[in-house]
Amino acid sequence: MLKEMFQVFKKRKQKPLSMQQQLVGEQTELKEQSISSDLEENFQTLKKLFHIPKNNDVKVRELYIEGLNKKACLLFISTISDVKSIEENILKPLLTNKSGKEIKEIVSIQAVTEIHLFKDAVKNLNQGNTVLLIDGCSQGFAMDCPNFQGRTIEKPNTEILIKGPKEAFIEKVDVNISLVRKKIKDENLVVESIDVGARSKSEVYILYIDDLANDKLVENIKNRLNRLDVNSIQNLSLLEEYIEERSYSLFPSILSTERPDRAATFLEDGYIVLLMDNSPDCLVLPATFWSFFHSPEDHYLRFLYGNFTRALRMAAMFITVFTSAIYIAITAYHSEMIPSELMLAIAASREKVPFPAVVEILMMEFAFELIREAGLRVPSPIGPTIGIVGALILGQAAVQANIISPIVIIVSALSGLSSFAVSDISLNFAVRLIRFVFIICAAFMGMYGMTAFFVAGVYYMVSIKSYGVPYLAPMSPSYKSSSDTMFRRLLRNEKFRPGFLKPSDLQKKQ
Amino acid sequence: MKQHRWLKIILLCLLTMGLAGCWDKQELNEKAFVIGIGLDKDEEEGKVKVTYLITNPEAGAQQAGGTTKEPPQEIISLVADDFISSRDTANAIVAKSISYNLLSVLIVSEDLARDPNFIRLIYSAAKDREIKRSLKIIVTKEKAEAFINNNKPKLETRPDNYFGLIINRGQKIGMIPDANLKSFFTDTEGDADFFLAIYATTDKEQRDKENTSDDNLIAGEIKEEGTSNNTEMIGSAVFSQGQMIGKMTGEETRISSLLDDTWNAVDILTAYPDPFDERYRLTVRMSKQKNNTYKLTNDYGRPHFEITVPLYIEVLSDPSMVNYAGNKQKVVKLKQYLTDNIEKKMQQFIEKTQKEFKGDTFHLSVPFRKHFATLGEFRDFDWMKTYPDAEVNVKVEIHFGEFGRQTKLPKLKEVRD
Repeated sequence: MLKEMFQVFKKRKQKPLSMQQQLVGEQTELKEQSISSDLEENFQTLKKLFHIPKNNDVKVRELYIEGLNKKACLLFISTISDVKSIEENILKPLLTNKSGKEIKEIVSIQAVTEIHLFKDAVKNLNQGNTVLLIDGCSQGFAMDCPNFQGRTIEKPNTEILIKGPKEAFIEKVDVNISLVRKKIKDENLVVESIDVGARSKSEVYILYIDDLANDKLVENIKNRLNRLDVNSIQNLSLLEEYIEERSYSLFPSILSTERPDRAATFLEDGYIVLLMDNSPDCLVLPATFWSFFHSPEDHYLRFLYGNFTRALRMAAMFITVFTSAIYIAITAYHSEMIPSELMLAIAASREKVPFPAVVEILMMEFAFELIREAGLRVPSPIGPTIGIVGALILGQAAVQANIISPIVIIVSALSGLSSFAVSDISLNFAVRLIRFVFIICAAFMGMYGMTAFFVAGVYYMVSIKSYGVPYLAPMSPSYKSSSDTMFRRLLRNEKFRPGFLKPSDLQKKQ
Repeated sequence: MKQHRWLKIILLCLLTMGLAGCWDKQELNEKAFVIGIGLDKDEEEGKVKVTYLITNPEAGAQQAGGTTKEPPQEIISLVADDFISSRDTANAIVAKSISYNLLSVLIVSEDLARDPNFIRLIYSAAKDREIKRSLKIIVTKEKAEAFINNNKPKLETRPDNYFGLIINRGQKIGMIPDANLKSFFTDTEGDADFFLAIYATTDKEQRDKENTSDDNLIAGEIKEEGTSNNTEMIGSAVFSQGQMIGKMTGEETRISSLLDDTWNAVDILTAYPDPFDERYRLTVRMSKQKNNTYKLTNDYGRPHFEITVPLYIEVLSDPSMVNYAGNKQKVVKLKQYLTDNIEKKMQQFIEKTQKEFKGDTFHLSVPFRKHFATLGEFRDFDWMKTYPDAEVNVKVEIHFGEFGRQTKLPKLKEVRD
């Protein structure tokens, strides 16, 4: 019968056509044509491709180059290119030039490439470059002068440290690469790029240190990126879901960080970093549980202080996951475990409350999640409302109205507060969701249910992998590494790169 | 496909949990917490009168939603077969389900404790899952029901709080024994030593007794006035093979504790006649910081036990104002005096156990068990039979601590001058 029930949910899935084959309105044929020597014809083709004159910011400048005695045409998209530079370094030399020099020698722009296909012309224009077409010439010239608008480097917003560098990635990828290069001055740091997205061609940059990173891993990631068959991927946060191995898993398998110093540290250990335009962060892979659990400050702080923070974070994680569940399990099933005074205090506070402990806890946890979500989305002018509503109405009033017992407020506040100590957003979500599963388990089966689920969870965590790396490595299974897991060691004792990455050079110091 | 598999797994988990879970779930506010059970003899043979002392968690609790004026405790008595089955009968009167989670004292009337059938009754406590082995056993002079009804602690609102505190403190000062259910079972089954239960009463019996020290009393004998609770817990009831055979005063209980290495009274304040002036008594604080040493010799077939008790003593008063602390000879004299005095008392106590109880109350067999190679050998020795005729010698080794915070007192003559 169960089988029949599931039949209802079944949907017949058809394998969709490849994206490349069904791009409607992309004028693929036009793009594949090569540039002819007839300027007017070329111009018409480009006009078609760029919807001129409908398209307002695509500018066309027709001109006559005296030195060559030819008509020419300059195309660029004014909003994404450096108009001043075009004026100074391209237009002016071309107009004032009287000699018969080559184009490359007339313009004073740093990179000039010859293009032969319209495809390339389109790509260059979309990237903010300027394309010069000359009558009687069967090739065009693409000149580098992009100028995309964006913000400047700012302090990190989510991964906040007290001690340590304070610059964060921004939405411009060349700035981001520069930030990484600033930290790793090594010619072996390779920045490869791969185009993803059939319509909007975005470049994904793969960063790794050539003689350190495992070649197979690099190859694996490149293959994954090449195999992507989608119209467009705007940024890394979206890309993450396309390339991760277990999309349904509770645990994240790719680390996202906005700190270039953190990215650099991972690179130097043999990890691979992905960067992309429009993403104020980078992806680090493969990622283990520990990389989500750690914070760069653990190493920036002195040995003892750093490890204290780690212990605190671990405790906070367990508190988040277990407090509410333990409260339910103990009060409903194992009341003999509580000291008598506390037991009577809880019993007294529950005397007038209408709901069972589970419902109370779920209500409060849900309310806490609501406050958190609302607080995140609320426009800042009305921000203080959240505090008032949260603290007064949900806390005090609920207790006074005998809907929630005061001890439940303490329990859920403790677990909510502790959840903030897990700084990584992905792990944070994982921990918060797991908490609810534990609450359900505790409600049904008490401590036994919690233990059973915990054991199952540990089995699962040990079994999963991120790009071939076991999730709990190097703790289980054990690998040669600096054993930077629960606690860190002295820096001078952290001698090895993580062995699970199979780096070409394992030892990083003597 | 993959999605459906997950759906199946989640559905199965929920079904399993829903069908298998929750069966013994009970919220705290659905329970009535029994703190003490009183047991009395009933006229009918084989029946017992059970009294429940139920605490009210709400009493004295500050609550945001409004506090109650309910009393801190509820007492009900009923006749039942034993105190396990009486639970359900009690639920005819008490609304919440009766829970033994917080059960901390078992109060037995002396009458019932002296009954040979008492052991049948108490062994049902070994069967019940909720009853803890740390349950304290109190024997009352009057009926247990009357004791529970009369016991009205003034400052501890809830009874669980009261019993926990008074028993804990009483054990620390050695006035009452460490009487838990576990040692009742082990002593009864060990067939060598006697079990001591706490002796208590609310029944005052004014006895004017001159010239006894403060602790040579048993419950009911303390001359006390004021507005406090009537309950007195001092002394112990002696149990042999699961039946009460006698009782001991507070002083005897303290001596028993000093001779015993299995429990330790840490803070004994007592008084001895002043060696420098017979009219007064010297207050001393005694504690045992090292374990006793036990020696067994066998002279002419009669076992000879030798117990050495190391005592740490602080002399806290000097009523004769002789300033013994500053004088070495006087200290030696004091030491000799106290040693003799304590040894004499201990020897008297041992004689009493041998003649009156015919068994030891201080777990003497425990350190001596290692002298026997096998259990069979120990059984053949027949401790119960041998002990009353054995020769037991006690030696006391006194180490003086300080003589009060201020060692020197002013000379009486100079003050009076």
